[in-house]
Amino acid sequence: MGLNIKVRYKIIIYLLVLILIMLILRLYFLQVMSGELYAELASESITREKTVAAPRGNIYDRNGKLLVKSVPARAVAVQPGIVLENDKVMEILSDCLDMPYREIKEKVEKSNVSYMDRIILKQDIDYASMIYIEENSDELPGVEVIDVYLREYKYDSLASHLLGYIGEISEEKLKAEEYDYNYEGGDQIGWSGLEETYESVLRGKKGKIVYEVDPLERPVGVVNEIEPIGGNNLYLTIDIDLQKVVEEALYRAILEVRQKKIKDTDEYYNVRGGAVVVLSPGDGQIMAMAGYPSYDPELFAGGISEDDWNNLNDPENNYPFLNRAITSFPAGSVFKIVTAYAGLNEEIISDSSRFSCAGVWYGLGKDFPKYCWLKSGHGSLNIVGAIKNSCDIYFYQVGYGLFKKLDNTGELLQKYARIFGFGSRTGVDLTGEEEGLVPDTEWKEEYFAGQPENSVWFPGDTVNMAIGQGDLMVTPLQMAQAYSIIAEHGIKYTPHLVKEIRDSEETLFTDNTVEEYQDLQLNGNYIGKIEEGLLQVVEPGGTAYGVFMDFPLDEIPVAAKTGTAEFYGRQDYAWFASYAPAGNPEYVIVAMLEEAGSGGSNVAPIAEDIYRYLFNVD
Amino acid sequence: MIRGKKSLIGSKTYRREKKAVKFDFLLFLLVVAISSFGLLIIYSATKETLPGGASDPQYYIKRQAIYLAVGIVLFTVIQFINYRKIKRYWWLALVTGIALLASVHFFGYEVHGSKSWIDLKFTTLQPSEFSKIFMVVCLAAIMSKWRTEKECRMTFKKVILSFVIAFSFITLVLLQPDYGTALIYFIVYMGLLFLSGANFLYFLSILGLTIGGIFTALNAGFIRQYQLDRILVLLKPESYTSEGAGYNLYRSKMAIGSGGILGKGLFLGKQTNLSYVPEHHTDFIFSVVGEELGFIGAVCIIIVLGIIVWRCFYIASNSSDRFAMLLAYGVGLIILSQVTINIGMTIGIMPIIGIPLPFLSAGGSNLISMLMGVGLVENVYLWREVRREYDIAFQRYK
Repeated sequence: MGLNIKVRYKIIIYLLVLILIMLILRLYFLQVMSGELYAELASESITREKTVAAPRGNIYDRNGKLLVKSVPARAVAVQPGIVLENDKVMEILSDCLDMPYREIKEKVEKSNVSYMDRIILKQDIDYASMIYIEENSDELPGVEVIDVYLREYKYDSLASHLLGYIGEISEEKLKAEEYDYNYEGGDQIGWSGLEETYESVLRGKKGKIVYEVDPLERPVGVVNEIEPIGGNNLYLTIDIDLQKVVEEALYRAILEVRQKKIKDTDEYYNVRGGAVVVLSPGDGQIMAMAGYPSYDPELFAGGISEDDWNNLNDPENNYPFLNRAITSFPAGSVFKIVTAYAGLNEEIISDSSRFSCAGVWYGLGKDFPKYCWLKSGHGSLNIVGAIKNSCDIYFYQVGYGLFKKLDNTGELLQKYARIFGFGSRTGVDLTGEEEGLVPDTEWKEEYFAGQPENSVWFPGDTVNMAIGQGDLMVTPLQMAQAYSIIAEHGIKYTPHLVKEIRDSEETLFTDNTVEEYQDLQLNGNYIGKIEEGLLQVVEPGGTAYGVFMDFPLDEIPVAAKTGTAEFYGRQDYAWFASYAPAGNPEYVIVAMLEEAGSGGSNVAPIAEDIYRYLFNVD
Repeated sequence: MIRGKKSLIGSKTYRREKKAVKFDFLLFLLVVAISSFGLLIIYSATKETLPGGASDPQYYIKRQAIYLAVGIVLFTVIQFINYRKIKRYWWLALVTGIALLASVHFFGYEVHGSKSWIDLKFTTLQPSEFSKIFMVVCLAAIMSKWRTEKECRMTFKKVILSFVIAFSFITLVLLQPDYGTALIYFIVYMGLLFLSGANFLYFLSILGLTIGGIFTALNAGFIRQYQLDRILVLLKPESYTSEGAGYNLYRSKMAIGSGGILGKGLFLGKQTNLSYVPEHHTDFIFSVVGEELGFIGAVCIIIVLGIIVWRCFYIASNSSDRFAMLLAYGVGLIILSQVTINIGMTIGIMPIIGIPLPFLSAGGSNLISMLMGVGLVENVYLWREVRREYDIAFQRYK
């Protein structure tokens, strides 16, 4: 064979070895050096994740009655970017979901931003539509049927302002910091009320299914499944039966007052709305909170229709979304308790000092007469009588005294207003609570900047404020808190709506029943004097006597104050603030009607109705 | 006398008398072992994905087992024919090989754009797999000692003749068109030319001629874009991850890489079992090995294949005549070239060309032709000791 052949044999053997080494080295690189990287890539490339909605927590009232429940439903979700490119998909969906093509297109177009990977097109679809969509998934790219939880309201629209409503997360919210954890397009979030405040508590924890797909994206097996954890349940301080009574009383009163004409005119009261707060003064628990007009939160289950939404936002309908209990209004005479306490504590008056009321007062000068609401005057009054009769002139003088003391450098009336909680949020667990306004020098300067003649604080400002007029704005809830401070002789609680939070297994983990309080260190004697006056308001000669004539005041002493606040360009705002039984207070009731005239005659009946219910009086 | 001797061949008496007759058990056992192991890998690759619309998870393993049995029978049958006789009838191999390749143009059907299959109703046949062996027989015969020669030399005449024969085969394969298989044919031819001891001048001029031919074909537009892509993908793998040839490579590399050192375990490959790697039971079977058995398993397979090739070459270098040597080399070159290119393409160092991995890829033509080829090598080993007697007898007979 020759040497030549032998050499060539060697060459081919070397080549063989070289090839083997090359293959093995390459495999070493792929499998040993980059094995982990490839393993990660490989598993990523074939696994998909799907989130599983968690049922939102339920809401119960203080007695464990179920108010709001989560019910599973199916929704059609679409990926806007994909669907928008495909008219056919939108046409099919339009037929299948019985939605106009234009509506679908608008909705999808509006959400076609990189941030929203998924939006819900329609909630609560029927079984047939679901089957249709799932069976035709090949023709419907970017469309999926997802599980969602909708809200079911056991008591219809009762307490709707408190409970709030839920809806699909918006782009803005999705971008916001508090929603950056585990939220995705199509999620249902609380949009108002307790649903919003307690969003993080109620929402639960989403589950996750990690599954593998084949090259055609068909699922072939589940790798990992994390069960969703249901949200926590809220137990409210609200008594739903009481809430019903309160809402009915409010509604009835509004209808009645709307039948009345303003004295000496042909004009009927508008009564655009009203609010009632029933507070437990001993612990700050809100037992009922009603506002009129309200709305049916059921409208939001399954996505609110555009018509409904526009209707609810139409000014003609007096803003049903507004929770009037935490919205500020002109206060009126119910504020006089603050002036009374300020006067007594600053020794402008003593418990026996008397002022005389002749219907008009010239304390601010001859050119600035100030009138009492009773043109004929109240004669000589001490503090108790002034409260009983709600004498304006008495309180003008107290206010003027407070102004003059220290040349108003202490802004004494404002100081006491703030002590009683006005001008700042009570801290109730609701979103959208207003601060109200305690006007002062600084505010005036800012508000009337550029109008030098108006931007200084006049003595008349303090005088007006002393009877709850002027720029003072308060919320019914603030007023309820102020009266509970009087009722509890200086103990201030934060009003709240949630008593307990329990997890989905009913294990208690937040107990709000033991509430922290703040002792304002008020003078008991002065409070006693004020209470004495408040008790006489419902007695013969008092401003609310007519309403409480038949009420068993001997057994259940009611301390109350009426108020009628003037507001430029509007009819008077009517107030009634009260608590009972005095001495051992169980309930504070504050009611307010917008544009309803006198608090004594038009609002007091609401509170009286509620007391009758609470104390089982026929 | 010849007749008498011949009747003894293979019989127990003969073997007892002639202790020199040997059988290379290593080669035989390795081939049977790796083919049987191939059954398991094929089962793993097809049990869930059921390619080709099969409904029985064991469809492929059953078929492959039958092919293996047929292959072993043919392997055995070949042992009874002295290869020297095969040399004499080399023209039969030429006619059969050419006829088989030509037949696809009349009876064949297309798969993936190549008309390389014949449907025999009970099974399908890929003539180009078998013709490889026939070409090797022809070339070995042409390049070995002619009867007219006193001493074997690679003359110009032989080179020209071998070139004509080889390119007849190659042209027929190219016409299917099956460029991958044609490449194997070409490599085997060049290898044989080299190992036959041909002058380098011949070797280089044929190589040059071929490369020139390829460029001409490229310019004339005979090669299609997707075929070019398969080569380009090697140069820029990252830009070809989602579709076409790049997708195969991307997925195959991912499957093999994810196997790591120890692999995911037999039957447990995710990528391959979910058919993420296309053709994972045929051309890309090595990705299943890599994913399920890891670096250790893949290296074992490569080493076993390497030993098989080495045995072929070893037997070639220890054969008793030039024909035997070239026959064994030829088979060894077929296995080596297919192993290199097939495994190379699954791990991204060779272009993606559709050729099977010997002994492991699913498919009867590949397995049976490979077993026949190894059968010929074994034959060379088995019959080498009877050379002297045979030669004497042959001389006398002449």
